[in-house]
Amino acid sequence: MAASTPKAREGAWLWLVKIIAGVLILVVLGVHFVMNHMVAPGGLLTYADVVRYYQIPYVVAMEIIFLVTVVTHSFIGLRSILLDLNPSEPILKAATALLSVAGVAAVAYGAWLIFTIAGRG
Amino acid sequence: MSHERWTVTFIVSRRKGEQPPHFQSFQLEVDPDEYVLDGVERIWAFHDRSLVFRHACHHSTCGACGMLVNGVEKLTCITPIRSVTSNGGKVKVEPLRNFPVISDLSVDMSTFYTRMEETCAPQVVPVRGSALPYEKGLFEQADPAYERLADCIECGCCISACPVAVTTPEYQGPAVLAAAQQAFSLTGHAGLLEKMDGADGVWRCHSGFECTAVCPSNVDPAWRIMDLRRKVIGRRIKRLFGLAK
Amino acid sequence: MENQPSPKKFLYWFDPRHRQPGTWAFILNRITALGLTFYLVLHLVVLSNLTKGAEGYDTFLEFARQPVVKFGELLVIAAGLIHGLNGLRVVLTTFGIGVTIQRQVFWMLMALAAIGTAAFAYVMFFVA
Repeated sequence: MAASTPKAREGAWLWLVKIIAGVLILVVLGVHFVMNHMVAPGGLLTYADVVRYYQIPYVVAMEIIFLVTVVTHSFIGLRSILLDLNPSEPILKAATALLSVAGVAAVAYGAWLIFTIAGRG
Repeated sequence: MSHERWTVTFIVSRRKGEQPPHFQSFQLEVDPDEYVLDGVERIWAFHDRSLVFRHACHHSTCGACGMLVNGVEKLTCITPIRSVTSNGGKVKVEPLRNFPVISDLSVDMSTFYTRMEETCAPQVVPVRGSALPYEKGLFEQADPAYERLADCIECGCCISACPVAVTTPEYQGPAVLAAAQQAFSLTGHAGLLEKMDGADGVWRCHSGFECTAVCPSNVDPAWRIMDLRRKVIGRRIKRLFGLAK
Repeated sequence: MENQPSPKKFLYWFDPRHRQPGTWAFILNRITALGLTFYLVLHLVVLSNLTKGAEGYDTFLEFARQPVVKFGELLVIAAGLIHGLNGLRVVLTTFGIGVTIQRQVFWMLMALAAIGTAAFAYVMFFVA
């Protein structure tokens, strides 16, 4: 009797993408706190503050990187949690499709939001 | 052995066929330096001949007597009663987790054994190089011709303790991944890396390190899983640059 | 319950009894992962207030200054620190760093998370 062949589903590359995104989040957060403290020491307390803040190109770049890495890391992570539950092939396929679409939509929406605010300066 | 006598209550998980499991208590007078397996055997010998459990060698070589003792996986033949309770205390004995129960304390490990066999991990390994890399200096001077039995005694304690194995029956589990790591280290058979590069392989581990904590035989499955991950990633990167088939 | 593995047993993931620090780390990481993902969705939805211009957003910011909301933010910061630092331990051990001292690494990183959370709490409630 042979035991069932281990399923691939999540390989080294997907795992690495999740981990690299995770490390990038830590780096970006670190830079963010230091820079934010220098750019806006009192915090962003009004709408006008936020719009002014978004005029700085580095802020926009950082927000975009943060958005992409956070969404990537969290959505691959959600899929990993699902994999811990040993889902059937159709359920996993549906979840992967759903998470991919939702991830792309979240990034598109976030980017639109960032550029909309930046454009009001 | 001391001449101390302790009164200890063994609370034993009982399960026959499709009946729901229940616990049965047995009060025993023991020498605290006796082992938990001695107590279980005495229950069988003097209290209830229908008690089913596995054991053979009594010296941590056969790996048959793994059980859950007070909630933690133990190889009961080398677990002194003194180390798990006190005089007047309780010893709760249950079957290993994550395996189907055959009867009482005995579980069906056939799928696990098949998976172990499928890694083709050698049962006998050269003494030199058989130590874990962080055990500096151990066996370094050994004659290259000398061989020894591999550390893993296939007791299944690590599979039982793994917090992820509880939901994923198809996860290969710590011992199997550790066997794959050892087999790959000795044979360089890349098929093993391919096989374990997946959700049921090395990537299902969530670094709980429970396997290493309960392993009675110095296999350190968690260390080996981490090592296997690096080997898998290394091979993927090499293949990306066309350096490996 | 049957003794063999089953997805229905997922609540056992969160049972810390008789477990090692490694599993406590796993439990913390799983809870914070779900919490932070929920927050991410909430955050993206809430920020749509920005498109409503100055009035809409400033009304929202007024709401956000309530202590309850601030406490919620502190929870997010704590979760972020715990998850991020624990994640670092997973990365380090995978790449062979500190595998034999992962328990100590766990305690050290969690102490850092506690100190970080306390610092943020101080600034949020007593300085800002």
